Amino acid sequence: MRKCRSHWSQGDRERHQRRSYYYEGPHTSHSSCGGRTREEVVTPPLPEHAAVGSPMAMSVDFKTYVDQACRAAEEFVNIYYETMDKRRRALTRLYLDKATLIWNGNAVSGLDALNNFFDTLPSSEFQVNMLDCQPVHEQATQSQTTVLVVTSGTVKFDGNKQHYFNQNFLLTAQSTPNNTVWKIASDCFRFQDWSSS
Amino acid sequence: MSLPSGHTMGHTDQVAQRRARCSDIYQRRLSSRSEKVNPGIHSSSHQQQDGEAAMHGAHMDSSVRYTPYAISPYNRKGSFRKQDQTHVNMEREQKPPQRRMEGNMPDGTLGSWFKITVPFGIKYNEKWLLNLIRNECSVPFIPVEFHYENMHASFFVENASIAYALKNVSGKIWDEDNEKISIFVNPAGIPHFAQKELKSEKVEKIKLAMNQQCDVSQEALDIQRLPFYPDMMTRDTKMASNPGKCMAASLHVHEENIPMVMSAVGMDKWKGTEPGEKCADRSPVCTTFSDNSSNINSILELFPKLLCLDGQQSPRPTLCGTEAHKTLPTCKGSFFGSEMLKNLVLQFLQQYYLIYDSGDRQGLLSAYHDEACFSLSIPFNPEDSAPSSLCKYFKDSRNIKILKDPYLKGELLRHTKRDIVDSLSALPKTQHDLSSFLVDMWCQTEWMLCFSVNGVFKEVEGQSQGSVLAFTRTFIATPGSSSSLCIVNDKLFVWDTSHQGTQSALFTLVPTAFSSVPAFSQEQQKMLPS
Repeated sequence: MRKCRSHWSQGDRERHQRRSYYYEGPHTSHSSCGGRTREEVVTPPLPEHAAVGSPMAMSVDFKTYVDQACRAAEEFVNIYYETMDKRRRALTRLYLDKATLIWNGNAVSGLDALNNFFDTLPSSEFQVNMLDCQPVHEQATQSQTTVLVVTSGTVKFDGNKQHYFNQNFLLTAQSTPNNTVWKIASDCFRFQDWSSS
Repeated sequence: MSLPSGHTMGHTDQVAQRRARCSDIYQRRLSSRSEKVNPGIHSSSHQQQDGEAAMHGAHMDSSVRYTPYAISPYNRKGSFRKQDQTHVNMEREQKPPQRRMEGNMPDGTLGSWFKITVPFGIKYNEKWLLNLIRNECSVPFIPVEFHYENMHASFFVENASIAYALKNVSGKIWDEDNEKISIFVNPAGIPHFAQKELKSEKVEKIKLAMNQQCDVSQEALDIQRLPFYPDMMTRDTKMASNPGKCMAASLHVHEENIPMVMSAVGMDKWKGTEPGEKCADRSPVCTTFSDNSSNINSILELFPKLLCLDGQQSPRPTLCGTEAHKTLPTCKGSFFGSEMLKNLVLQFLQQYYLIYDSGDRQGLLSAYHDEACFSLSIPFNPEDSAPSSLCKYFKDSRNIKILKDPYLKGELLRHTKRDIVDSLSALPKTQHDLSSFLVDMWCQTEWMLCFSVNGVFKEVEGQSQGSVLAFTRTFIATPGSSSSLCIVNDKLFVWDTSHQGTQSALFTLVPTAFSSVPAFSQEQQKMLPS
């Protein structure tokens, strides 16, 4: 029986995170591509929208979305940077088809362009030092559950000096009865010292 | 026993199938144990992490050895190593590397061997698997020395274009459990035929083809030698002294698209030779050529997506294709979706910071949605022991990478405009430099605009007065009343550039978002209502 998420112990959380990271469960009926790969950000199914109206209901909603956002963000960041560093060719699996990236002012739009782009980037070593996230208000997303994820740290691209970077993502949720799969709708990356590089 | 993919089975069928498969797998493992082969070039660290030890030096069974570059056991005289070196010297004197590599394939293509590996292929029946691959593969191929190796199934093909076609099959075939089947392709040494009685007609044909490439100067080999595949690693002494340089760059492995992987074998693979284990056994692509450049050129012709070898990123325009040299894209200034949005955003920022810097931030209430969110962070630097100008932001900093307290996680995310503005009002007073602003408009839909502002500001009071800090602030805003923007999400990240030495850069004359917009002077700002 599923416990309310806020009552999960640390152990529960860890076990659950492991499960969703290396998901080997039964295939969902509409999954057309066989088994799940590791390049997916998966969290438990999203909660039903509680009845709006009372301030209490609103705050319960909000807290749940904040928790959900944090979970998605933590999971996502682990997978994203590891994939970027070690399995670069799988990176675009984390993006929506029409996703866009602004990379130090260079706009890249759509999976094909993203594939080319990540292909041309030298190999990388990312170190994330800061991570924060916020659930995006539904008014901005027309009820498409979205999380703003912000990261910062250092990156060393092969053949280049190390840079501090800031990165922003908008992650959108694709819900199935069994889980939620998060993908990048938009991505914005900048070196902190972009102007001197 | 094999079913076309996509065929659904009842549960009991599935169980029976699984049991039958397990027993097959057990059989294959038993037989493979007595015939260990050395894998080809090792794949990247990605596979190492999977714990797929099969892809790396298998335990050598002393009875059968896979020694593609060695003289066959029947002709071995004395120690292998010594012999190999003699062999090597012989080649060098007699044939220049270039010719040897190109070979004399009947159809003129580059002749070289490739090892095709299906991860976890031990699950599959050989015939079933090969048929499946054949159905999908755009060219016919002759699989040579099909075998199971720990958990995987492998075979060899003798042509780069065939190998390439097989690579393209990866991810396009499915097994009975609807799992995608991947195919890995790696350059390899000559499969060791001498150890195995292969009587099939196909193999005879291959041998015939191989004979045609016979280098008449070679002798003492059972198998007619094929051109060596150009190497990616140098041998022995070079490795020992320069382990870093001698590794080919480990590349991105993608399960669906075949990685054209030039292996990054860990140094530990070179150390600790087991007694009796021959050097060549572990590195079937050891070079015999001292000149690496022509090797690299050929490799890149075949595998244009490769990075530069030997971990070098320096351009070799005469040798490498442009794909081999990867540089970072040029960093550019602000990115706006359109001129109209640019003006909208710049106006918004002007107004926002006018109020923000005015000394009274309550005026910002009208800028936020009722249920907006705000949080701020500063970098987490465990080495920072000295008190910094960021200390005033410390208590509000939300960094969920290190913050695990669920209560604080909730508290530090400010919710509702009232809470947000109160929280902003408690932050130090500032003076933002609009001329330093750089804006990335990175998401826009009909319902929202998402943009990030980068710039610097000064602290105008308190102990840190005069210190300059840098910030990135991400706003998500919806269309507000009277063509203004209504903030629903606000995320501020502040850092100190003095450690990075980038402070001066931000004040140099770099084209910024506001360069075409006149900034408000101090006097003008004071005159505006708060």
